[in-house]
Amino acid sequence: MIKVLLVFVILILYDMQKFIRKKEKAMVYVLYFLFIGVSLVVGLLLAEGVRIPSPARWIESLFKMTGVLKQ
Amino acid sequence: MKKEKISGIQMFVLLSGFLFGSTIILTPTKGAKNDAWIAILIGGAGGALLLWIYTRIAMLNPSKTLVDILKDRLGKVLGTVISILYIWYFIHLASLVLRNFGEFICTTTLPETPMAVIIGLFAAVLVYVINSGIEVVGRLGELLVPVIPLVVFVICLSLITIHDFGAVLPVLGNGIEPVLMASFALVTFPFGETVAFLMLFQCLNNQEKLKKIIFASAGVFTLMGILIFFRDIFVLGSELIYRATFVPHLSTMLIPGINVEPLVNINLLISGGIKISVCIYAATNALCQLAGIDDYRKLTTAVAVFCVVLSVWIYENIVEMFAWAEKVWPLYSIPFQIIIPVLLLLLSLRKKHGVRK
Repeated sequence: MIKVLLVFVILILYDMQKFIRKKEKAMVYVLYFLFIGVSLVVGLLLAEGVRIPSPARWIESLFKMTGVLKQ
Repeated sequence: MKKEKISGIQMFVLLSGFLFGSTIILTPTKGAKNDAWIAILIGGAGGALLLWIYTRIAMLNPSKTLVDILKDRLGKVLGTVISILYIWYFIHLASLVLRNFGEFICTTTLPETPMAVIIGLFAAVLVYVINSGIEVVGRLGELLVPVIPLVVFVICLSLITIHDFGAVLPVLGNGIEPVLMASFALVTFPFGETVAFLMLFQCLNNQEKLKKIIFASAGVFTLMGILIFFRDIFVLGSELIYRATFVPHLSTMLIPGINVEPLVNINLLISGGIKISVCIYAATNALCQLAGIDDYRKLTTAVAVFCVVLSVWIYENIVEMFAWAEKVWPLYSIPFQIIIPVLLLLLSLRKKHGVRK
C-alpha cells in the first residue's frame, strides 16, 4: 500500500511543478486529478486485496441484462 | 495544438505494428482450428474493407480528427457524448493490450515478478515515447517494425525440420460456421481496433497515399498471419493450437538446440508498444480536444497511470481474460468499430453530395 502511495506522490509532484510553472488552466487540473484520483483509489483497494467489480464485469452484465449475451 | 506530420512509410509501419499488436502472441482465429488459414483470408478481406471505410471517412473530412468529425456530423451534444465513449474505448483497448503483455511476460519469462511492476515499467517507457510526439513514434516504428517479420522468418526457418504437412487436412472438416466466426473475430481484433487511427490519419503529410497504405498494411498482416498459422499448425497440430495459451511461444520452445523465446518477447514489445502508444495518444488527444486543452502531453501521464491500474483491475486471471476477449469483446466492439463509422461515412457522403448539388 505504501509503495502504491509513494509512486502516486512522486508522479503528482513531478507533474504539479510543471503545471504550476506553466500556469495551466483549471480544466487540466480537473482532468488530471480525475484520472489520478480514480487510479489511486482503485490501486489502493487492489493493494489491500479488495477487488471491486471491474468495468469488464459491468459491460458483461449490461450485455446479459439486455439479452445481447446469453446468461 | 501543434500539427505533427508523419510520412507515408511511417504511417504504414505504425498501422502494421498496430495490427500485429498482441495478435503476435494471441491467436484470434483459434476457433477455426486447422481451417484458420481460410478464416485469416476472409477476415483479412473484411478487415481491409473496414480499413477502407475509416480511410474514406478521413478523406471526406480532411484535416479533421475523429472528435471533429463526430461533432460535425452528429451535432455538438451527441458528438461530444460519442467522443467520450470513444475515449473510454481507446483507454480500455490500451489497458487490454497492457494486460496481454503482462500476462505473457509473467507466464513465460518472468514468473516471479509482479505483473503490476512489468506493466508499470512498460507504461513508463511508453509515456516517454508518446510525450516525444507522434513523429518520434513513427520514426521508432520505421526502425523497429521491420524486426517483426524478420523474427517471424527466423523462427519459421528454425522450425523447418519439424513438420507434419497433413495437419492442415481435412479442409472445412468442421463446416463453415467456425471459420466465419473466427473471421469475424479477426475483423474485430485487430482490424476494427484501427478505428483509433481516425485520430492519426490527419497527421499524414500526403493524404493521397492513405488508400495504398491501408491496403498494403492489411495485405502484409494477412500474409504474415497465414505464414505464422502454417508454421504453428505444421509444428503443433490443430488440437494443440486450440488448447495452447500462447501458441507462437509454444512453437519457439520446440526449436532444437537453441532458445529463441526472447525473440517472441521482442516482437510483442515492439508491436504491443506501438498499439498502446497509438491508443493512449488517441485517447489523450481526443480528451484534450474536447476539454479545449492545447497540448495532449499534459494528460498523458494521468491517462497512462489509469490504463496501468485498469489493466490490473480489469480481469482476475488469465482464464477470465481469454473468455472475455472471446465472448464479449467482439460484441462490445461492434458499435465502435462498425456501426458508428458506417454512420459517419454515410453522413459524410450525404454532405459531400449535398454540397455538389
